Amino acid sequence: MIKFINLMLLILSFFTTMAQELKIDISYKYIYANHWDKIVQTYNFSRPFNSNNQPLLMNGFNSSVSRIFKPNNNISHGLNVSYSYFRSSAEDQNFTNNLNLHFLNLGYIFHYQNQEKSKAFYADFILAITSSGLFRNLNGASFEYDNKKSIALSIGSEVDIKFGYSLQKSNNQYLSPFIVIGYIPYFYSPNTETVINQTKGLVEKNWTTILISQIGVAYHFR
Amino acid sequence: MERRDFIKQSTFFSIGGLLIPSLFLSSCRKELLLEDFQYTGKVLIIGAGAAGLYAGYILKSKGIDFQILEASANYGGRIGKLSGFAKYPLDLGAQWLHGKNSIVGELVSQSGAKITLDNSDEKYWFKNKIVSSLPKDINTIFTRETNLPDISFKDFAIQEGFGNDYNNIVEGIAGDSGAAASRISAYWKIKEEENWISGDDDFKFEETYFDLIDSQIASKVQDNIKLNTIVKKINYTESSIVITDSNNNTYSGDKVIVTVPITILKSNAIEFIPSLSLDKTSAFSKIGMDAGMKVFLKFNNKFFDQNIIGGSTSASYSDESIGKQQDDNVLLAFIMGKQAEYLTSLGNEEDIKNALLQELDSMYNGQASASFISYHVQNWTTNPFIKGAYSYSTIGMGDARQISAQSINKKIYFAGEAMNFNGHHQTVHGAIETGYKEVINILNDIKK
Repeated sequence: MIKFINLMLLILSFFTTMAQELKIDISYKYIYANHWDKIVQTYNFSRPFNSNNQPLLMNGFNSSVSRIFKPNNNISHGLNVSYSYFRSSAEDQNFTNNLNLHFLNLGYIFHYQNQEKSKAFYADFILAITSSGLFRNLNGASFEYDNKKSIALSIGSEVDIKFGYSLQKSNNQYLSPFIVIGYIPYFYSPNTETVINQTKGLVEKNWTTILISQIGVAYHFR
Repeated sequence: MERRDFIKQSTFFSIGGLLIPSLFLSSCRKELLLEDFQYTGKVLIIGAGAAGLYAGYILKSKGIDFQILEASANYGGRIGKLSGFAKYPLDLGAQWLHGKNSIVGELVSQSGAKITLDNSDEKYWFKNKIVSSLPKDINTIFTRETNLPDISFKDFAIQEGFGNDYNNIVEGIAGDSGAAASRISAYWKIKEEENWISGDDDFKFEETYFDLIDSQIASKVQDNIKLNTIVKKINYTESSIVITDSNNNTYSGDKVIVTVPITILKSNAIEFIPSLSLDKTSAFSKIGMDAGMKVFLKFNNKFFDQNIIGGSTSASYSDESIGKQQDDNVLLAFIMGKQAEYLTSLGNEEDIKNALLQELDSMYNGQASASFISYHVQNWTTNPFIKGAYSYSTIGMGDARQISAQSINKKIYFAGEAMNFNGHHQTVHGAIETGYKEVINILNDIKK
């Protein structure tokens, strides 16, 4: 993971020399992963001995950094790296079960902003490779069996559409609220059921589709 | 556009853009939950083993009417407890928690039950000597990473160069799977365990497995269990299913979960009306379940090793004090397959005990008979409602478990360790998984 982040930073710093606009944003993120829902629901259904249900993995936050080249054109493009975090926690008397889901996403942005009409509105179309790691914590410690951590890694491709409105703060600085609608048609996640429900092949298939929506604010400067 | 207008519009679009899909998706989520789902029908469960008890526990938690019909005088199935024989309680049936990554592992954490990793030493009875290691490592040939042929363990071991000297060692390895080495398939055993994810470490309970199941599951459904009820007939011709027991009492329900051991289904001890399909009965016949017994031998001193593999009377002996708080000199003879068939054929428990003592005497220079105090035989083979140990993978087995586990006409459902085709057959947690899975299947079928 650290190697991957370093590589991304290296790529970004390379493009910095020719970059025109840097954008940093933070947002609330909502995901709907139907198969993962089924796993969590099966987990809850099958464990009446837990007095509290495990919440679905659905609410999280996202933070991303992007670099747009030639942003003064109507259509420009750039790179985007983002990180999201989701948590599901259920507490019982002797048993606290936490699911921590981390997403890392590397994408390419096609940025549209009409420089003559409605200059403040912009739309981004983002194609990305996305990966995730789902970790389980039991009673505050990483859940391990046979001295192995319980982890589910997943990978897929994502398409996002982002709409925002830029408010100029100063000559080079802008603030823009935005919304995002995204879709991951195939997210390969073979061990998710193993981490959550401790079974394999009992609930369903080893992949899921994910629908995404986000609302947040971006800070960008040229 | 004025800033105020912008704020109005962007707030409207943002909230709308986000909430409309979120609300739609949230309604889809509720649909899957089965939480608000009310079912007013009655579910009959046949068998009060781990699968039946757990299915009942789930139904009770959802407020669904059910009754468990158990043939024997006790609940628990192949899980039982022997108190008073030693300073600590003994497991008559299922004993080891096979890996912590399972629903039972969670139940252990939740309940605070104490378990200990069983990392006891293994020794072998090889060429009439007790040795710490074998000239050739046989354990590695039956690994999950290897693509094995669909032949028996015994034949595969011979093919790999483990000849007659290793016969009883191979018998001990097969015995872990509840089978005779000549009957269990090397290929299907590994194939079926591809989905095994609960972990390879074995744990022992400070109390017993039965205590956990009793306190955490059975106690919740005890009022719904009818003991000494031997089901003879299941008539599912009409919309209401009628079950008849050996005393001609009848029980009506809308759904039935059959959790009896595979030996009972294979022996046609229960008549289904209409008859089960040929596919179904043929699938049952492909699931193996051999004879199995546990014999506890108590001595006045600990002359024996923690584990001894390779005896010709019992291929596996183990020290029962492992994982217990108090020490006592109890040795368990864990006997499966042909060895269990032979000992059963002796006809009485005294002869079984004598045969085992004779073997232990030859291993330990007569110390067994000299320090022997008492014994207890738990022969699962002669139990008329069990008739064996646990299910195993036979040669040419294919998808027999999947076919066996399929429901019939959305009325009859099958659960139990033998019906687990997700890698956890032969285990208590595997049986439990099938128990709750069939309740989910029932509710999903009703919803449709």
